[in-house]
Amino acid sequence: MERGELLTSLKDIVGEENVLSSEMDLALYGYDASLERGKPDVVVLPGSTEDVSKVVKLAYRAKIPVIGRGSGTNLSGGTVPVKGGIVVHFSHMNRIIEIDIPNRTVTVEPGVITLDLQNTILKKGLQYAPDPASQKVSTLGGNFGENSGGPHCLKYGVTTNHVLGAEVVLFDGTVVWLGGKSPDQASYDITGLLVGSEGTLAIATKIMLKIIPTPEAVKTMLAIYDSIEDAGNTVSAIIAEGIVPATLEMMDNLVLKAVEDSVHAGYPMDAAAVLIIELDGMADGMERQAGKILEICKRHRVRDVRLAKSDAERAELWAGRKGAFGAVARLRPSYLVCDGTVPRTKLPEVLGKVIQIAKKYDLPIGNVFHAGDGNLHPLILFDERNKEELARVHKAATEILQICADVGGTISGEHGIGTEKLKEMSFIFSESDMHFMRDIKSAFDPVGIWNPGKVIPQRQAANA
Amino acid sequence: MNIAQLMKLSYDEVAKCNKCGFCLPNCPVYLAEGKESSAPRGRNATTRAVIEGRLQWSPEIEKAIFSCLGCGACTAACFPKVQTKDLVFRDRECLVTEGLYPKIADRVARFLEEQHNISNDDNEERSEWQEMIKDIPEEALNKDRAEVIFFVGCVASFFPMAQKIPVNMSKIMHRAGVDFTVLGGEEWCCGFPLIGAGMPDKVKALMEHNLAKVKDVGAKAIVFTCPSCYHTWKHLYQPEVKLFHASQMLNDLIRDGKVTLKERKIKVTYHDPCDLGRNSGVFEEPRQVLKSIPGLTLVELASNRQLSTCCGGGGNVEMVNPELSAKVAAMKLEQIALTGADMVVSSCQQCLRTIATRAKRQKMDLVVKDLTELVFEAME
Repeated sequence: MERGELLTSLKDIVGEENVLSSEMDLALYGYDASLERGKPDVVVLPGSTEDVSKVVKLAYRAKIPVIGRGSGTNLSGGTVPVKGGIVVHFSHMNRIIEIDIPNRTVTVEPGVITLDLQNTILKKGLQYAPDPASQKVSTLGGNFGENSGGPHCLKYGVTTNHVLGAEVVLFDGTVVWLGGKSPDQASYDITGLLVGSEGTLAIATKIMLKIIPTPEAVKTMLAIYDSIEDAGNTVSAIIAEGIVPATLEMMDNLVLKAVEDSVHAGYPMDAAAVLIIELDGMADGMERQAGKILEICKRHRVRDVRLAKSDAERAELWAGRKGAFGAVARLRPSYLVCDGTVPRTKLPEVLGKVIQIAKKYDLPIGNVFHAGDGNLHPLILFDERNKEELARVHKAATEILQICADVGGTISGEHGIGTEKLKEMSFIFSESDMHFMRDIKSAFDPVGIWNPGKVIPQRQAANA
Repeated sequence: MNIAQLMKLSYDEVAKCNKCGFCLPNCPVYLAEGKESSAPRGRNATTRAVIEGRLQWSPEIEKAIFSCLGCGACTAACFPKVQTKDLVFRDRECLVTEGLYPKIADRVARFLEEQHNISNDDNEERSEWQEMIKDIPEEALNKDRAEVIFFVGCVASFFPMAQKIPVNMSKIMHRAGVDFTVLGGEEWCCGFPLIGAGMPDKVKALMEHNLAKVKDVGAKAIVFTCPSCYHTWKHLYQPEVKLFHASQMLNDLIRDGKVTLKERKIKVTYHDPCDLGRNSGVFEEPRQVLKSIPGLTLVELASNRQLSTCCGGGGNVEMVNPELSAKVAAMKLEQIALTGADMVVSSCQQCLRTIATRAKRQKMDLVVKDLTELVFEAME
């Protein structure tokens, strides 16, 4: 299809003001929050499922890629159009359609901002548990596509554990409903397959989510350590004791300093590492559990454990943690967030190796991560404008993921594969694993319109 | 300004933007339009792409860069504190050099050069609002020498809706025994609209004139009811005399017992003007003043202080893109309605106009007052 014809057809569907095609617009929809870059052919801002269905039908007939996008905060290139195509930006589809309190479900359009949903239902004493650090800007459609995690996912599970169903548009524009309000669904769990598929199989236009009552009590502690190893060992010891806190987050010295400079939440600037340990649930028994945690911390030579005394203090601690990626940009202009997962018991060993990699490549690397899940986020700091430095950064990132894979972990905790980690897929998947994934992809996407170039490496690359 | 100069001034700053997107939900323009080009992250990316030669200045960039309100809410949400407002204003300077800018700005520049005010009236008309004051002799407001200069600002001087601000402020200061004068026709526009228009080099003549007047009067302090004039004097003029925003002076007068206030049983919310709050750091004094009124209940907007949402009247957007300005004002009204307050108080003539006009258009029953009006009404 010729460009002029494509633009005219899209304008007929969504209206002229909702089709963006200037050089500026194409440049601005070519990035996400990672270092990956691309360029779409055109951007559309649909207002309804019908719009999306018509756009996809058109794309299918013309064999043009379709890439869904929310706020573009994703961290591995998932929304970056590497083979051109139509970016479908959901900023205008941001309505909360239904809040069903007796059935504890909400139904939303994909452009609803995660925290907006949270704030709306909190007033009713309910919450949506997954809390990605970017929740104040990330969209639920994006959380669906990336299977986002967050600090509280240690206890409550990641996005997929909270998605009950979805209205999705298939490759030819057909609209279908998957799942629903009943706890058990007949037939295949296609919803489960789609969550985290990074828009490579279909596109969601409505999402039904599980909501739960807010906990009766919350206790937030900051445990301060003089060695990273002690902090790491505390994490496995707490879990081994049978306690599952709501969060178990770690920040190392480099990140602490940047965060404290930025939010002034009272983080100790001289500590080697801190853990943010939050308990939530029934008030009864919480003191006892907190006592047990304190004991474990002491056993691992904790310097001090501070308790957040008010909601404001708690909010400050979390503001620091959730803004950590941004805060390190005060130290160097750019950062790359690695996202690998290891068995918790391997944390001290792997963190030690990350420090060695930092030395080897002469790059500052900070650590801020979901320790309870063993989900590491080494943050490599640099200046993207320095090409030689950038090359070292990519090498260091690959090496870190190799270490995660080698100790029995994996190459993503929650940020997805996107384009950034295609080459590392072979660290954990065999060629037959990937062949199977390609078969699934072709069943959903016979002509290859869905977010091409993502998640599964091309055959040659995998053989290389 | 050309791209080489832009690179020198903006490249390191814009490189600090990591595209995390935390600014998006804070930007009223992005919330209104939903396009990346309206988002602070998008503006940063545009600036960077132009500096790196990946994009050329274009009419689309002009439209996007001139639709920033300059409210600074993006920087408040930004961890590395990227100064997007400054970057945008510098982009505007480049766009002016390229001839890509809203041509209405030429008219404003001409008015300021010829008449020294934004409404193209004879500058002697600046004192028109004084006719609304019956009980103070003219010479008490127009002295040759005084301790304090009351810098009225263009909008409050010429726009009928805002003229009660200098009326009330003058009455309060007169009753409180402040030795002050206005400059009348010798007050020239501070130049703020030119900064937002990408023509800061044209501010010099206005600034030199105004600074000379301060010397002539022998003033030790200047008081402003307009946050943008206050901001321009504070950050650009930087004179040796003390600068007060009206809310700060009112707070001092109340504290020193020179203004006493009687009971008003009302529930009000306070809107932080961007140039007073976030951009000049004055948050508490207006609140102190409100709390000094016995019986008054202050309910905060959900987004307040650093995170206050612009009224829609900033960055020359009202002039360039009135439709967008109205959309942002409508968002502000929604937030105000959620507080359940009887009245919204601000301390800026522009916020007052934008909010009151939008409320009237939407037929929303909302009382909008400047802090000076509320204080004058409550004076014993």
